[in-house]
Amino acid sequence: MRRKNFYLAWLALHLFFIVAVCAHQVFWLIASGLTIIPAAANGTYSQAEKITSTIIGQNLPASNPAKIALFGYLHSAGIEGAYGFFAPNVPENFKLAFEFRNADGRVEDDLPNVESRAAVLRLGSLLDKIGLSDSEQYRRILIRMLTSAAWKNHPDAISAHAVFGKLKLPNPLEYERGVRPAYEFIAAYDFEQSADPNAK
Amino acid sequence: MNSSRLTILNNLPIPTRSSINHVLQRLREWLFLSSSDRWLSILRIGLSLQLILYTFSLRADWRSLLAGTGHGLASRDLAEALLSLESPIIPRLGWLIVAAKQLGLSEATALNLSWYGLTLASVFLLIGLFSRPMAIASWFLHLGSVKSGGLATYGVDALTTIGLFYLMLSPLPDQLSLDYLWRKKLCNPQLLGFWRRVLQLHLCLIYFFSGLTKALGNDWWNGINLWRALTRPPFDLISADILVRFKHFLPITGVAVWLLEIGYPFLIWHRRLRRPWLIAILLMHAGVGIAMGMNLFAFVMIVLNLAAFGPGILWHRRQAADDGSCSSESLARSPNN
Repeated sequence: MRRKNFYLAWLALHLFFIVAVCAHQVFWLIASGLTIIPAAANGTYSQAEKITSTIIGQNLPASNPAKIALFGYLHSAGIEGAYGFFAPNVPENFKLAFEFRNADGRVEDDLPNVESRAAVLRLGSLLDKIGLSDSEQYRRILIRMLTSAAWKNHPDAISAHAVFGKLKLPNPLEYERGVRPAYEFIAAYDFEQSADPNAK
Repeated sequence: MNSSRLTILNNLPIPTRSSINHVLQRLREWLFLSSSDRWLSILRIGLSLQLILYTFSLRADWRSLLAGTGHGLASRDLAEALLSLESPIIPRLGWLIVAAKQLGLSEATALNLSWYGLTLASVFLLIGLFSRPMAIASWFLHLGSVKSGGLATYGVDALTTIGLFYLMLSPLPDQLSLDYLWRKKLCNPQLLGFWRRVLQLHLCLIYFFSGLTKALGNDWWNGINLWRALTRPPFDLISADILVRFKHFLPITGVAVWLLEIGYPFLIWHRRLRRPWLIAILLMHAGVGIAMGMNLFAFVMIVLNLAAFGPGILWHRRQAADDGSCSSESLARSPNN
């Protein structure tokens, strides 16, 4: 009986954290105005988001032992994130392209290079993280990493120009009228060989 | 725990007290309802196949995705540094690489060993040899690779982790494993039922919140999101020229997707609807795999669904209760009833 009670207590806590993490995401989406819920209700959901955020330990300092234990458990059980796949809306599609310039002025175009279909999906996820990030510094670091990886295919290049953009998809009616997917410029970054010792 | 509960209950009127006790007793019975280990066999075999597909599909890119700064596509060092901000005790491949370096092995060798280790553990898990240690090893190596490659992960990784987490805690070995052949160790059917319930309840929450979040998006009502999901690279396996011919079905299908998901936690328990509902969910995942090329995602969802609800809904097995094992799956007392 005692063993069963232990299992029951664990299950209650486990399900509680799953619900808290998922509810936190739902409240955040509503409070951020990303859903069909009217903006008038945003304040209430913003409050609810703060409460759930506290429950799942997000407001605790990184060194807090309770946070370390809780986040360790959530990640180990695979329950640290919610399940809003392609929700509430399908995110934009992002693309990164490179121009590598050689000493003789020749320019070679390239894209981030992976071998397998499985890795293509992961690369897409990485580009989404770059595109959806609010931090310009984070975005720059990740693009620099991807540029550095692609640079290996262009050993003679002395500089690289990375262009980050997003794909604007037409809806079905627009598509029927002849509108086709088009990339929109978001940002461009220049890297010099001398300034980037890891690039080659 | 019992005494504190009794203290609280003692202060309540007798009818209320007895009804609470009754509810708790029913809940306990429901959670610990005896189950066969068929579901565990499905989970073990399905997840080990998932891991084998995972490792082989990433063989060519494994080092590139998991190498440290300046040696690959994404930086493992950066991913692990971000992970440490959340918690330093989350498993990661960096631990193995540090240990390997102390033995004089390079990072590339350590990454290769992690790939071979995960593949080998998955094969052992598939045949059911050293089931428990291999389930733990698979969970650790998979989680480590997912967290260390955290910048390039997506939904399939979390769902595989969930499955592996429950698998390593469940009462292994099952009867279809090699371990069972020579150990013949009887497992506790109530414990088997409990872990199956855990998986069932977790799936219900996954679908409910997934459906709810979709329903909150305007474009899941008019079919635009479905169109975008199917035409967005790298999921654009079906030509938009073909899809656009079915544009009138997109709103219906979009609504059907989130209705199917929101309805799952309620109707998967319904005696008459659970079978069609489960089949519809399985078809939805198969459709996602075929139409969008998300094969691993589709596969893991099908495995989790089949393990959680398959035995008793998709197939029934009548067996003598006294066969000396824990595999007596009664139709009347199935965890799906």
